[in-house]
Amino acid sequence: MSIFQADEEGRVRKLLDALDRPVELLVAHGPEETPLPGARDMDFGAETERIVTGLAALSDNVTYRVEDEPEGFERYPAIAVLPDGEDVGIRYYGLPWGYELASLIGSVLEAGKSESSLAPESLERLAALERDLTIDVFVTPT
Amino acid sequence: MLLAYRLALASPRIRASAIEATEFPSLADSMDVWSVPRIVVNGVPQWDGAVPERVFIDRILAPAFE
Repeated sequence: MSIFQADEEGRVRKLLDALDRPVELLVAHGPEETPLPGARDMDFGAETERIVTGLAALSDNVTYRVEDEPEGFERYPAIAVLPDGEDVGIRYYGLPWGYELASLIGSVLEAGKSESSLAPESLERLAALERDLTIDVFVTPT
Repeated sequence: MLLAYRLALASPRIRASAIEATEFPSLADSMDVWSVPRIVVNGVPQWDGAVPERVFIDRILAPAFE
């Protein structure tokens, strides 16, 4: 079953087919935090895998694999977005539902670009960075 | 969130995660997440809301993270 409505699916398919390089999605399963009341019936890990499978089905440029507690993940379920199969430190923790599905697609489109969409000035400043930074962005699906 | 991902793609020193706050309530609580997007850098809560690329980079390159 598709994760998109028919008109959306066509649009997403076109965007994914236009990627400069392939993108792999790694779904990481593992022990999950007790969900909020009301969400107990949902299997977040299975839903996450269903969404990633649905996305990968749309284009040859997007592939996926599933692993149980791989290294480099802090919580589960999680998705790593791997440009050309390379881990550059991009993670999505949780189920990308609702509005967050668009964010996941956006992250695949970004990872599939061979040139950064940042301004040249920004790239220069980042090139001078001499320490490691971990950026966490808390989001909600609505 | 996409901006954080763009930074991770552009710099080998930057890692970027999106975290679905309702699914990880204890972590979200510990980071005082009241509104989203909430930006946390090196484990320290920083600010809420989207900001332009230049401002975002100004903030993460601030001396506080040296």
